[in-house]
Amino acid sequence: MKSFLLMLVSFAAIFIILNAGYYKEWFTAKPVQYWSDFLKEKDDTLDQAGILRERYGIVYTICMRVKDVMAKKKVAHPVILFEPNSYYRDSLHVYPNIHAPEPALFYYYTGLEGVWTNSPDVAKANFLVRMSKKGIQLDQITSPQQLQHVLAFYKKYPPSL
Amino acid sequence: MPFLVYLLLLILYLVSGLGILQLFGLRLKPAYTITLSLLLGIALASFLPFLLQLLYIPLTGFTVFGVLTLAAILLSIPTVLRIRREGPGGLRTTLVPAHFQVQPYEIPFWVIIGFLIFVSVWRCYYLPPTSRDALSGPEAIAEFAYREHTLINSFFKVDLWSTNNQFKSPFLICLQLIYKLAGFPFGQVWLSPIFIGLIVFLYNALREKVHPIIVGILLLLFIMTPETYAYTFMILYDYSNMVYMFLGLYFLFAYFSAGDKRNFYFAGLLIGIATYIRSETLALALLFLPPMIIAQRREKLPWKKIAISGLLFFLPAFIGYYLPNGVYIQHYLPVHYDVGALVNSNLGDVSPLFKRYGDIVNRLLVSGFAIKLWCYIFFVTAALFVAEAVFVRRFTREALNWLYAIGILYVGLGLLGWVLPVVDLNDTTKRGMFKMLPLCLMYLANNTLLIRLSQTVSRWELTPALPKVAGKPALAAGRSVLTRSGKTVAASGSGPGKGASAVGKTAPASGKTTPATSGSRRKRKK
Repeated sequence: MKSFLLMLVSFAAIFIILNAGYYKEWFTAKPVQYWSDFLKEKDDTLDQAGILRERYGIVYTICMRVKDVMAKKKVAHPVILFEPNSYYRDSLHVYPNIHAPEPALFYYYTGLEGVWTNSPDVAKANFLVRMSKKGIQLDQITSPQQLQHVLAFYKKYPPSL
Repeated sequence: MPFLVYLLLLILYLVSGLGILQLFGLRLKPAYTITLSLLLGIALASFLPFLLQLLYIPLTGFTVFGVLTLAAILLSIPTVLRIRREGPGGLRTTLVPAHFQVQPYEIPFWVIIGFLIFVSVWRCYYLPPTSRDALSGPEAIAEFAYREHTLINSFFKVDLWSTNNQFKSPFLICLQLIYKLAGFPFGQVWLSPIFIGLIVFLYNALREKVHPIIVGILLLLFIMTPETYAYTFMILYDYSNMVYMFLGLYFLFAYFSAGDKRNFYFAGLLIGIATYIRSETLALALLFLPPMIIAQRREKLPWKKIAISGLLFFLPAFIGYYLPNGVYIQHYLPVHYDVGALVNSNLGDVSPLFKRYGDIVNRLLVSGFAIKLWCYIFFVTAALFVAEAVFVRRFTREALNWLYAIGILYVGLGLLGWVLPVVDLNDTTKRGMFKMLPLCLMYLANNTLLIRLSQTVSRWELTPALPKVAGKPALAAGRSVLTRSGKTVAASGSGPGKGASAVGKTAPASGKTTPATSGSRRKRKK
C-alpha cells in the first residue's frame, strides 16, 4: 500500500515537472517532437545523402550542386569564390536563410576548395557562386582582371560567418 | 555488421576500463565499476589513435582496431591476475550486483528517463553532426582522416582563417574516426555510452544519499536541462568534459572524506582526461589545490610528500594538456596556434573580470535566457541552499565540498573569460556551465533538508515492515544518515563500495562516506 502511495507521488512529481513553466514548452517542442521525428525516420528510405540534405538544408544542397557542376565540367582544380554574408544580409536581405559556407565547411561538404573575398588564396578563385532568392548561379572567372572586378564589387561587404 | 563492431568496441572499452580500475586497486559497486570501466575505455580509445598519429603510424582500420584490441589485452592482465588470485567469483561480485532491488515507485522515473535517453540515442545514431564548431574542425578532420589515414590531412590545406576549431582536442576526432571506421558514417554514437554511463553513475550516487523518489526528481531536473540535453546527441567537447570533471571531483571529495590515496590518484586521472578533452580544465583543476593541501595537512603529511603527491595528481592533467597543445599542435600540424596571442593584453584592468562575473549571473543564471538554457535547476539549487542556510544554519562536509566546487567553477570560468577574451560568454562560458549541473545535483543530494525529508519518508515507508531498534525504526538500506555533528554517513549497503563492512577506514562511525570499498582485502579474507 505504501509503495502504491509512493508510486502515486512519483507520477505526481513527474506530472508537475513536465507541466511546470518552461519544462512543458521545452518537452513538447523537443523530446516529444523528436519522438514524432523518430516515428517517421525509422521507416523512411532516405540514403546518407538524403539525410545530410534534410539536416543541413539549403546551403548543403547548394554546395552539392556546385560539386556536381564541377564534376560534369571536369574542372581540374576548381576554387570556388563565395559572396560575403554581409552582402546577403545588407543588400539582398536573404541572410541567414541563404548564406555562404565558410571554406572549411565547404571543403567538409564537398571536398572542394572554397575561398572568401578576404582569403589569402582568393587569387586562385576560378568560379564565383552567386546566390539569390531566384536561385544559384555559377560564373566562371576567366582572368585576374575579372576577379579584381568581382572583388572590387564586394569590397564594401566584409566577409563574416 | 556496424552494430556487431559497436558491441565489440563496448566490450573492448569495458575490458580496458576494468583493467585501469584494477591498476588503481579500486573495488567499487558493480554499477560504478561498469560505468567507470566504460567511460575509462572510451577515454582510452580517444587517446590511442592520437598516439598512433604521434608515432606517424597510418590510421587504418587494422591499426586503429588493432591498437584498441592490444590495449584491452594488456589492460586485462590485472583483471586476469585477480581472477587467478580470487577465482571467478571475485570478478562476478565486481560486475554483478548481489541483490538488485527496485522499488515500484522508481519505475515511472525510469520510464521517463528511459524515453529521454532513447530519443537522444536515436538522434545520435540517425543524424549527422551539426554544430558548426564540430563541422569546421574536428568532424571534418576525422572525415578526411578516415579517407586519408592521417589526422594531418588535406583539410589543413584549405583556407581556415574563419575558424580555430582545427586546434581542438584529438578526443573528438579520434572517436569520430573509430566509429567511421566501424561503419557509422556520422560517427557520434560514442556519445550515448558517455551519456548513459553518467546517468547510471549519478542515479547510484544520489541513491546513496536520498530517497529514490528524490533521486528521480533530481535526475529528471538534470536531464531536462534543455541546453545540456541537446549536447547528448550533438557531438562537442563540453558534455564529455563535464562527465570526466565531475567524476574526478567525485573521487577527489571521496579522498577528502576517507583519506584513501587510491581515490586521490584516480581523481587525478579523471581530471587528466577532462583536461585532454578541454585544455582549460587544467586551470580549473589547479584551483582545487588549496583544499587538497589542507586535506593532506590534516593527515599530518610532510610538505615533501604533499608536493610529490600533488605532482602525481596533476601529472595526467599536464600530459592531457601538453601532448595535444605543446607537442601535436606545435610540432605536427602544418598550421600553428599561438595561445599566447589570445591572452588579454590589458590584464591590469580588472573591470572586465567583474563585468564577466556579473554577466554570468545576469545572463547565464537568472535571466529568461537562462531558463531556456537550464530550466529551473539553478533556482531549485539556490532555493534549497538558502533554505539550508536559514533553517539548518550548518552544511555537511560533503555539501561544503560540492558548494566549494560550484564556487570554484564560477570563479574559474570568469577568470578564463577575462584572461582569454576568445572564451566568450554566450558559447564557451555557457557550455562551461555544464560542469556546474552535476555539482548542483550532488550538493542537493547532500542538502540536510532533503536528507531529513528522505529519512522521514524512509521511516514512514519501512516502519511496519522492519523491527524497531532502541525504539527507533531502522532506516532503509542504501540511504544516508545525518549525524548530530552534521555529517552524512552511509547506511548499511550504501556507498559506491560494496557494502559497509568493506568500507574500511570509512566505517559509518567515522562519519564519512567513500566511493571505494577501499580496500580492505584483509577484511574480505576474514
